[in-house]
Amino acid sequence: MTTLSSGSSLLITDVTNIRKDFPILSRTIHDKPLVYLDNAASSQKPVQVLDSMDHYYRHTHANVHRGVHTLSQEATELFEASRRRIADFIGAPNEAEVIFTRGATESINLVAYTFGLSQLMEGDEIMLSEMEHHSNIVPWQIVCAMKKANIKVIPILDDGTLDMEWFERNLNAKTKLVAVTHVSNALGTINPVEEIIRLAHQQGIPVMLDGAQATPHMSINVKKLDVDFYAFSSHKMYGPTGMGVLYGKSSWLNLLPPWQGGGEMIAEVKWSGTTYNKLPFKYEAGTPDIAGAIGLAAACEYINQFDRDGMLQYEQALLTACTKAMESIPGVRTVGTAPHKASVYSFIIDGLHPYDIGTLLDQQGIAVRTGHHCTQPLMERFCIPGTVRASFAIYNTMEEIEKLVQATRKAIQILT
Amino acid sequence: MQTAHSSIELEQEKVIEEFSQFTDWSDKYEYLIDLGKALPALDEKYKTEFHLVKGCQSKVWLHAFVKENKLYLVADSDTVITKGIIALLIRVLNGQDILDIEKADLTFIEAIGLKSHLSPTRSNGLISMIQHIKSYARNLSITSQPEIASDPASQQALMIRQIKEVYDPEIPVDIWELGLIYTLGIDEHGKVQITMTLTSPACPVAGSLPLEVQEKLMQLPFVTDVELTLVWNPAWSKDRMSDEAKMALDMF
Ligand SMILES: Cc1ncc(COP(=O)(O)O)c(C=O)c1O
Repeated sequence: MTTLSSGSSLLITDVTNIRKDFPILSRTIHDKPLVYLDNAASSQKPVQVLDSMDHYYRHTHANVHRGVHTLSQEATELFEASRRRIADFIGAPNEAEVIFTRGATESINLVAYTFGLSQLMEGDEIMLSEMEHHSNIVPWQIVCAMKKANIKVIPILDDGTLDMEWFERNLNAKTKLVAVTHVSNALGTINPVEEIIRLAHQQGIPVMLDGAQATPHMSINVKKLDVDFYAFSSHKMYGPTGMGVLYGKSSWLNLLPPWQGGGEMIAEVKWSGTTYNKLPFKYEAGTPDIAGAIGLAAACEYINQFDRDGMLQYEQALLTACTKAMESIPGVRTVGTAPHKASVYSFIIDGLHPYDIGTLLDQQGIAVRTGHHCTQPLMERFCIPGTVRASFAIYNTMEEIEKLVQATRKAIQILT
Repeated sequence: MQTAHSSIELEQEKVIEEFSQFTDWSDKYEYLIDLGKALPALDEKYKTEFHLVKGCQSKVWLHAFVKENKLYLVADSDTVITKGIIALLIRVLNGQDILDIEKADLTFIEAIGLKSHLSPTRSNGLISMIQHIKSYARNLSITSQPEIASDPASQQALMIRQIKEVYDPEIPVDIWELGLIYTLGIDEHGKVQITMTLTSPACPVAGSLPLEVQEKLMQLPFVTDVELTLVWNPAWSKDRMSDEAKMALDMF
């Protein structure tokens, strides 16, 4: 194992302590210790997040923004303080630009419906990329069908990077929005989003980034990025499920129409017409997921206690070690070899089906994802039915990578 | 206790007995994988959309036919573990009486610790495969009388019964009552010609309906092929719904 622990010894000692924060990691699967390598699908939750939500429900719960009574005020303060903390976490200049949603999917739908229905005309174009998650494809297909607008797809090169030349060449006066993923969930590619935003803005085109796979790993600053919309999910970054965020520049969010109607999002309701609440409430119809917001804020705080560069380096060390060790197994082929990758390792094995490998890894206590990862067009691009994907979080260890390697060898031996 | 065990039950017991020897997971899977590898490859002519059983992680192709009231199965998959389980299913069900298959309770899969492979999250096509075999057997038990199998009116009625199992995702009325089927016919070779429409060209979820209709029709033993044409002209309107459908929708 010494061969694997490259340049990350400083943090490895801490990982034992970090792991203690995650109760689920002491579980066994098929009588073997759980090796959880499916973090890109959803990460596990530290006690700090669990406790924050538990404490809220036990001591502070009431509906928010509605009552003069003390509990409602306390709940509202906690909820809004969570919004501030999350705004800080992504460098949003104004917390009113942080809209709570159900997850990245709902955030993207919010943009698709409000922006798409109000800004698109027949023949207009939305630019997506070939590596998008279905949740950044289907909402645009629905809206473009309604508006008779077209989707243009930025192709990717064999290493899993975007064809930036194509992108630059094909931006044009008909392009109304560029909506691409910050980090690919299937390949791990970190896209050159600064460059994408610069090129699009040069032509006055707004940009939406799908940050679902970026926020768990990298520190994000939406102001520095100058991005117009940024969507992400809480559950992939140590927070609870059912919670997500859409950051949007207030200049856009004020301009766009409301989406869902209901309580909270109104200023005044009359039969003759209704006026809408100010941001962020305009986009938060109904009682929000209060505990979810509190849990996500706790997750942001949890991440913030680490030196962010150190965290990134540690995860990169896991990725590098994993790639090297897995590629030494005969027949293993890495899918996605971009120079800049988040800690996502996708692979296939010559002649073997991902489903069979995933099943035999599971028997050995190792949780990986197999299949198309909700990126069917991308799998088609590579002419493969799917991949096996190991994705790492801060609590994974070099020892677990060694287990993955051994277990993969065993799976191959059983299958061939 | 039951008086006579069907041979399906006896075969299940044998499989359970065999698997009880394995104490280690890897021995069990090695055995299963060997079974999968030994399963004869399916003739390429059956590896078509029609024989494809829906599954998302893996593909399963199934061809079933009947001889003297007994059902025979050939099947294949792109994953070898799924193939292993298919081999077991074939071993238990192949050549059995269609009435027994219709009633069969396939408990052996759980008993040998492979139940997780039938969980919907696996989406490997095995559950659908079992459903297909059962509905195939059910249809066969109705159509095994030669006079039904060749009588056009009975065939039409059976085709309609199959189509009535398909629903537009958002509407609680089957697509036959909705009036989505414009024409339906079958020739003497068992080839079905069907034209249908969808409630709206913009409805992406409904896009899978034609495939579902084809699958349902292919489950009928006398159907050899389905040629489905999707048309937008004339466009569907509420007037095309049957009175029953209108009533059902008013009530909802
Ligand atoms: C890149 C990317 N975008 C969007 C999503 C959708 O996230 P959610 O299901 O939490 O809404 C995912 C989740 O897998 C993802 O990986």
